[in-house]
Amino acid sequence: MSATRVPPPKPAERVGATPKPKAEKPAKKDDDGPDFQALLHAWLESHRASLVDSLRRLARQPVGSFFTCLVMAIALSLPMGLALLLDNVERLGGSWQRAAQISLFMQLDTSDSEGERLSAEIADMPDVAEAEWVSREQALTELQQHSGIGEALKELPENPLPGVIVVTPEEIDKAGLEALRQRLSELPRVQQAQLDMQWVERLTAILKLGERFVFGLTLILVMALLLVIGNTIRLHIENRRTEIEVIKLVGGTDGYVRRPFLYMGALYGLGAGLLAWAILAFGLDWLNEAVVRLAGLYGSDFALAGVPLGDAVSLVLGAVLLGYIGAWLAVARHLSELAPR
Amino acid sequence: MIRFEQVGKRYPNGHVGLHELSFRVRRGEFLFVTGHSGAGKSTLLRLILAMERPTTGKLLLAGQDLAQITNAQIPFLRRQIGVVFQNHQLLFDRTVFDNIALPLQILGLPKVEIAQRVGAALERVALHEKAELYPADLSTGQQQRVGIARAVVHRPALLLADEPTGNLDPRLAAEIMGVFEDINRLGTTVLIASHDLALIARMRHRMLTLQRGRLIGDGEAG
Repeated sequence: MSATRVPPPKPAERVGATPKPKAEKPAKKDDDGPDFQALLHAWLESHRASLVDSLRRLARQPVGSFFTCLVMAIALSLPMGLALLLDNVERLGGSWQRAAQISLFMQLDTSDSEGERLSAEIADMPDVAEAEWVSREQALTELQQHSGIGEALKELPENPLPGVIVVTPEEIDKAGLEALRQRLSELPRVQQAQLDMQWVERLTAILKLGERFVFGLTLILVMALLLVIGNTIRLHIENRRTEIEVIKLVGGTDGYVRRPFLYMGALYGLGAGLLAWAILAFGLDWLNEAVVRLAGLYGSDFALAGVPLGDAVSLVLGAVLLGYIGAWLAVARHLSELAPR
Repeated sequence: MIRFEQVGKRYPNGHVGLHELSFRVRRGEFLFVTGHSGAGKSTLLRLILAMERPTTGKLLLAGQDLAQITNAQIPFLRRQIGVVFQNHQLLFDRTVFDNIALPLQILGLPKVEIAQRVGAALERVALHEKAELYPADLSTGQQQRVGIARAVVHRPALLLADEPTGNLDPRLAAEIMGVFEDINRLGTTVLIASHDLALIARMRHRMLTLQRGRLIGDGEAG
């Protein structure tokens, strides 16, 4: 067979020319080197081809790809879900400042005008965010409404409750709060200044424990995620061993070989991130019904907040990054084993 | 083009693949490397492809010492070499066109140029009507021609072939050798490792004979 029907191409004479160990570049033309635009176009085209190839390979195995994403999504949604629940618990307990309110119990003969005037003076103090006067009558009404012994309280000959100024401090550190409480207790007409520090400390400790638990769980699950994605990519590498060997033999750099697997890892991460978002949104919504019912029994209108958009975007981006890193680690580990045979 | 100067290859397990091999290949030459299994033919090709490094001596490819090049430089070296395998090493999930286009895609050439060059390579191996088929749809001889087209599509200065006719009947083997000669006539240096002495004898090109890693003959075949 002799099939020379095209003009003979001039064979390359470039063996031995100083190679440039950089990213894939178009072959130099015989006269001039390629311009920047051509190089950029080639680079973009290479990335586009890798991305499309990775998408096609994932789409070719929809069930397998979905379950890989689902496993990753569950691993992602666990720590994220716990963190969101902690946020909700924090919200339920009120802000730190509200939790650290100082109650100033006034002498029984303090009039409403005296109480309101003092309350306004306190509100102007530098360490105070807010001060609210609760009159004796108001206090009794609230007690009757919420204590469950409203009828018994009606039988009392006179109102035994003092007027109260509820002070919300600016600072939440223990020493600052104690100093403020001391100053407030020395004000005229104040019988007792009460700071519920124990409640603040307990809540702080519980939330800190929760945060630490979520952090530890996140670390463990991130490692599990890297293993999942690494193993998945390893299987893809094994399936494409011949292709990789051929690519290396015809001059593909490690970067060229690595690229489609990195895209694949990132795509797995994207799928997992979106699925985790959906799981969390659905899960919180499902849980919310029971929470609203329970809160209603305590006379509260508390409801679970959903997944904030910023957190959701962070979740998806983090998942993409994890997928990318997992793939990179897997390819780096296996690439050296894939020397052409 | 290629210069072996006292090149030796000893493996970590103590096996010696090549013993102080010395020879030269001129640019545009067509030569065979022959010998029985284990003679060192494949080791020689692997050294030229920088898949392995010589343990002694100097191996120069167009003046570049392959013992000295860095790992990062190897892909760029291989872009100047075409390789044909006995088992074709085609990618069966890609069309004939995509198989041949692979080296050009790695080079990052524009799509139009890739299409032109692949078309020309397909013409050269008389497979221009098979571009959209998959390798599994082709005969063994056609698959080998696809392998050759892929090896020459990026216009290498050197074409290496490792037992390219090993799986082919004599008629197809002769046909494939004809393709190699066509490519050689265009100026490409062709080095073929083969143990098919009958076929080599008919071709009347230079032949290096290896035996247990030693060069025992260097002359025209036949």
